[in-house]
Amino acid sequence: MNLVQQLINGMVLGHAYALIAIGWTVLLGVARLVNFGHGQIYMLAAFVTWWAVAGLGLPYPAAILVAMLAGVLIGLIMQAAMLRLTFAQDLVSIMIVTLGFGHMMRGIAGLVFGGHPQVLETPLSWIDFEIAGAWVTAQDLAIILVAILFFALLHFVLERGALGRTARMVAEDPKLAQLAGIDVRRVYFAVFAFEGAAVALAASLVAPRTPILTSIGFEEVIVTFVVVVLGGIGSVAGSYVAGLGLGIFTALFGGFVSPAYATTAAFGVLIVVLVLRPSGLALGAGRGAR
Amino acid sequence: MSSALRMAAFAAAGVIVFLLPGWVGGVYGAFAVIAIMATAAYGLDIVVSDLGEVSLAHTVFFAAGAYATGLLATRLGAGSWVTLGAALAAGTIIALALGLVTLKLREFVFSLVTYAATVVAAAVAHNWDLLGGSDGVSGIPTLDLSIGSLQLAATNDAGLWPYAFILLLITLYAVRQFRRSRLGAMAMMVHLNPRLATMSGIDVRKVRLGVFVLSSTFSAAAGWLYAYQRAYIGPDLFETYFLVLMLTAVVLVGRRRLLAPLIGTALIVGQERFLSFGGEVNAIILGGALVVALAILPGGFDALLRRLVARPAVQAPAPETRPVPQP
Amino acid sequence: MTRPVLEARDLRVAYGGNVALDIPHLAIAPGELVGVVGANGAGKSTLVNALLGWSRGAPRVSGSVRLDGEEIGGLPPHSRVRQGLTLVPEGGAVFMRLTVADNIAAASAPASSGRRGHDEEEVYALFPRLRERLHHAASALSGGERQMLAIARALRLGPRVLLLDEPSIGLAPRLVADVLRTVRGLVDENLSVLLVEQNVRAAIEVVDRLILLERGHILAQGPAAAMRDDPRILAAYLGEAVA
Repeated sequence: MNLVQQLINGMVLGHAYALIAIGWTVLLGVARLVNFGHGQIYMLAAFVTWWAVAGLGLPYPAAILVAMLAGVLIGLIMQAAMLRLTFAQDLVSIMIVTLGFGHMMRGIAGLVFGGHPQVLETPLSWIDFEIAGAWVTAQDLAIILVAILFFALLHFVLERGALGRTARMVAEDPKLAQLAGIDVRRVYFAVFAFEGAAVALAASLVAPRTPILTSIGFEEVIVTFVVVVLGGIGSVAGSYVAGLGLGIFTALFGGFVSPAYATTAAFGVLIVVLVLRPSGLALGAGRGAR
Repeated sequence: MSSALRMAAFAAAGVIVFLLPGWVGGVYGAFAVIAIMATAAYGLDIVVSDLGEVSLAHTVFFAAGAYATGLLATRLGAGSWVTLGAALAAGTIIALALGLVTLKLREFVFSLVTYAATVVAAAVAHNWDLLGGSDGVSGIPTLDLSIGSLQLAATNDAGLWPYAFILLLITLYAVRQFRRSRLGAMAMMVHLNPRLATMSGIDVRKVRLGVFVLSSTFSAAAGWLYAYQRAYIGPDLFETYFLVLMLTAVVLVGRRRLLAPLIGTALIVGQERFLSFGGEVNAIILGGALVVALAILPGGFDALLRRLVARPAVQAPAPETRPVPQP
Repeated sequence: MTRPVLEARDLRVAYGGNVALDIPHLAIAPGELVGVVGANGAGKSTLVNALLGWSRGAPRVSGSVRLDGEEIGGLPPHSRVRQGLTLVPEGGAVFMRLTVADNIAAASAPASSGRRGHDEEEVYALFPRLRERLHHAASALSGGERQMLAIARALRLGPRVLLLDEPSIGLAPRLVADVLRTVRGLVDENLSVLLVEQNVRAAIEVVDRLILLERGHILAQGPAAAMRDDPRILAAYLGEAVA
């Protein structure tokens, strides 16, 4: 494969990565929360999309909505369980609890959807184009388009306007935000619901590219870390750039060096960044000093 | 209770536990796995409970011990003493490297980087043919610790159980001694007040590194015996199951209680072996236990029990008492 | 006597098993400035925080709090704020990463309440200094400016009762007088204020009524003029001045 093809491939991959990560970006940026069950929500949402199409016979766009609804529900349940930890800003416990949720979700997926790999065929994946010698499907274009729209919308909402200001107040000091009359609990629920919906949207768009198994999701979490950390905690625009960069890096590394180690290499970069610049991730450094 | 009496009670309990699998129908395999996984969990426990950091890399130390054992035993025909040394060395070296890299990291970032290390290790194990790739290493011989004419070999689970039991006893003793040692005391100070520890002349980084490396030896030793118990090792050792199992074992019963990780492991593995509802439901139970232990019952069963016991002592609350609407 | 605008009964706060505050009755009349004084750890901050059900820790609060006769004791803090009970916590808490303008803009009385908070012009008229620093991040402000900003934010929310927790802490003596005079001015325009103040001498000059707290209990209370001569106040706080 030549360079142009890999670049186009990387563009598609990059938008997919950015879309997969955006829920985390908002989660971390607004609520200073993390979700290690992110990949398993992705996995469950992929199954739900498949089930809505293959089982219920819904049209694909409706199936996406069903998956997003499921994502919202999972997000709300998780946040309900973690409310106390959230207010205490106990990130380490939240991290472990969400790992536990991820483990539960894998069990649930196995129970409900079985251990067989499923393939989700969308009408868009049948349409393909040739661009500069590379084949892309309409599904790929949909990923790029939705990612760009989603990011633009989010950027607009969060960077300006009252909603963004509320988000920044809660991010800085949730207790003080209460004194401004903000219902912080509702903000937390909303943010986790958004996280669930966003990753479900990503899953229903991206998952048709690969077989759907209960074991998927691991890679998506890794990608998400890299995007969120490299993009700058909570930065919407940064996440987009980082997602795109990671996608192109993965495509090039995979195409020219070793496909098996592509994500590992990206993760190696992440470790180096974290170790060299831990302050880049110093969440709520002021309040962390207990 | 006098210390002699305590020792006697402890010894009696030990003997009973040792004989228990035989009495209840020869369930040596389950007991060996409990002892092994508990040993692995103790490595994580001293980092979580004493150092106050949550490492997500202890599955790597566990796997390093297992891989070193499996590879040396099958490829070079190494004996069990050699593989034990190699397992400990592998765990220690990786822990040293990771410990040095994460020396300055705290809390969430520390956990994130250790998780990243686990992910990288898993990818390497999956893809590196030298380590057996995704097929792993099978055909690991049985444990043989014979010295000269002294026959110390285990050909099945029943034979392996005494060694697992001894490994567990050594671990329990070592953890107990660690908590009474200078290093243990310094770790607690570093945990509770790093600044004060520094001002007391403690080299915080050295203590952290020391405890981290020490903790890896438990998990690596557990990996060593696990390789013999299962006769197969593979990249599945890096799956979240082992990570979640160790974490749950550590937080389920309570922090900084000597027997807590053992009881936690016994509850989890016991449920999987004797009360199994199938892999999926077991995963839901295990994940759920972790969620409940941290989100709903902070402090584990121990704290719950104390609260229940302590309740009558608290004076009756004034009527209409309600918690501050959280927060 | 007119109906109190804020009234608390059997207000108790406990941390674990320790009772930190026990106030059988406390009332503030409309347009009244009530000072709360006491030593460190007497429960002054605990009192104002408890009225709002707000805390950075996790205390248990019980008792009744009525705002304009309406029971609000069971509401979460943000709802009490929306009802018109507003707190400026200790240390002039503002959002450091937001600009002064954003801090001010972010606070406003809920439209549904029917109350009208200070609009932005009124706030800047009250604290002209803030207008000069409009586009600075709050983290770049001095302690006094932050205190002004915190009070300005609270006024924007259209409070019926303002709870002020040690607005003078860490301020230069001249600024202390300024801040207290501003507060007095607000009260004269019919705001009701509960003012926690360490500086008894300064507080007694502006308040209508004074409450002396000790170990979570009301030790003495009365009109400022009378309390000025109260032996307990004299002994503890004004001793040297009299001697």
